[in-house]
Amino acid sequence: MLSYFTRVWDARYFWIHLSLADLRSRWRRSFLGMAWSVIQPLGLTLLLTLVFSRLFNADIVTYAPYILSGIIVWECISANTVAGSLSFVQADAYIKQCNHPLAIYTLRTVVGSSIVLMLASISLYGWVAVVLPQNFGWSWLASLTLFPILALIAWPVSTLLSYVSTRFRDIPHALGLIMQSLWFISPVYFEAKMFKNGGLHALVDYNPIYHILQLIRAPLLQGEWPTWQNYAFSIGTAVFFGALAVMVGSKVERKVIFYL
Amino acid sequence: MKNNRISLNNVNLHYASVAYKERSLKSLMAGVFSRKAQRSNVADIHALKNITVEITSGERVGLLGHNGAGKSTFLKMVAGLYPVSSGVLNVEGQVRSLFDLSLGFEPDATGRENILYRGLLLGLSPKFMRDKAEEIVEFAGLGEFIDYPIKTYSAGMQVRLAFAISTTVGGDILLLDEVIGAGDANFMAKARERITGLIEQAEILVLATHDFSALRSICNRGLVFHHGELVFDGACDEAVAEYKVINGLK
Repeated sequence: MLSYFTRVWDARYFWIHLSLADLRSRWRRSFLGMAWSVIQPLGLTLLLTLVFSRLFNADIVTYAPYILSGIIVWECISANTVAGSLSFVQADAYIKQCNHPLAIYTLRTVVGSSIVLMLASISLYGWVAVVLPQNFGWSWLASLTLFPILALIAWPVSTLLSYVSTRFRDIPHALGLIMQSLWFISPVYFEAKMFKNGGLHALVDYNPIYHILQLIRAPLLQGEWPTWQNYAFSIGTAVFFGALAVMVGSKVERKVIFYL
Repeated sequence: MKNNRISLNNVNLHYASVAYKERSLKSLMAGVFSRKAQRSNVADIHALKNITVEITSGERVGLLGHNGAGKSTFLKMVAGLYPVSSGVLNVEGQVRSLFDLSLGFEPDATGRENILYRGLLLGLSPKFMRDKAEEIVEFAGLGEFIDYPIKTYSAGMQVRLAFAISTTVGGDILLLDEVIGAGDANFMAKARERITGLIEQAEILVLATHDFSALRSICNRGLVFHHGELVFDGACDEAVAEYKVINGLK
């Protein structure tokens, strides 16, 4: 297993190049280019905030960054599941020609989407610094842990999904539906207290998505450190999927090429 | 002398039939509910049967055989792309392969940029590729086209560039799959020269081809495949003769 990760490391120039090439082609020939990654979630936030703050009688100043944090993190999650599940299919030309470990092709998605997330989060930090300056403090350092932890969850998850999706091509379609349901039962746009008020504690307390979001929400929106439960759930999720991916991968990794 | 080696002992390779039978959940479900007799009768393909062969440093091996005989499968297995179903495959040395040459090129990027990209695909560092770039450009001999996007290249030009890159960066074991014939006569001479050069550095070449003259001039050993079995292993001229006999050619 260690040798597998050594090979991933040896191929680092290749997958870093692939990630950057993805980003280049994403922004190619657009006037605003990279700025779209910041503008897009900001625009959506404005729109949603106008509607939701009326609907739920929420305070617009605190609710807007709440939604923004939900949008950018969720976009990263769905990029790594719905789109990430096609990583092997997309990279079939490389897989059929070069004997690289397959996990580099999902790592490509993870690195690309993490860069987009970091860019998008700049607007969140900026917004919060302006409208909620009282929250600024050392705890903001904790919000930076979101990026590596989210990447460590996304990598094994997208690798697992890619193994399965290469065999069953229906999975990527089904995933769109599954992710939408997950979104619906998670406090991504809806506030956690709405779930709790409705007696749906479990959807918050045992939901890894909530805990991952808290890593950036607690410091920025409440000026608090994330709790140890937040970290336990987030890291636990990473360990769980990591172990599962290694287990499944050791069985099916070599056979993937037959299904491409 | 480096100790590069390819050794196969009783190697079998099957393509799993499930790969092209049950692509979707729907057909998997349909298979559960339909009666057994109605199921399509697609069996696993036994692509390589009990292959035992030993290739050592300095050998230039040509693979002969009809289409679907197992030449490409053999090469891809040696490259580590396909897993063997049974038997022992042992490859010692850094493998370089030239299979589908248009793969790994970015059509929108220039030839010069693609030299770097392809080098990265082969697992090399950007610094190493920058040092080698001029040498590759010169060998490919594409003139000013090297600064044009790859999508403007003809098939032959792509092959020349890919060949130039993959052979410049070396490797102990070179695997070629019917790519030799794609360049023009001028380039062929250079390509042959370079392959000869690579062999002189005590490296292994395995080449699948239908071009007997290329085979005779490049290789010193021929393997003949027939329906997944290795039916002949010996000198090139005899291998060509054997190939013609088996396939009913004069």
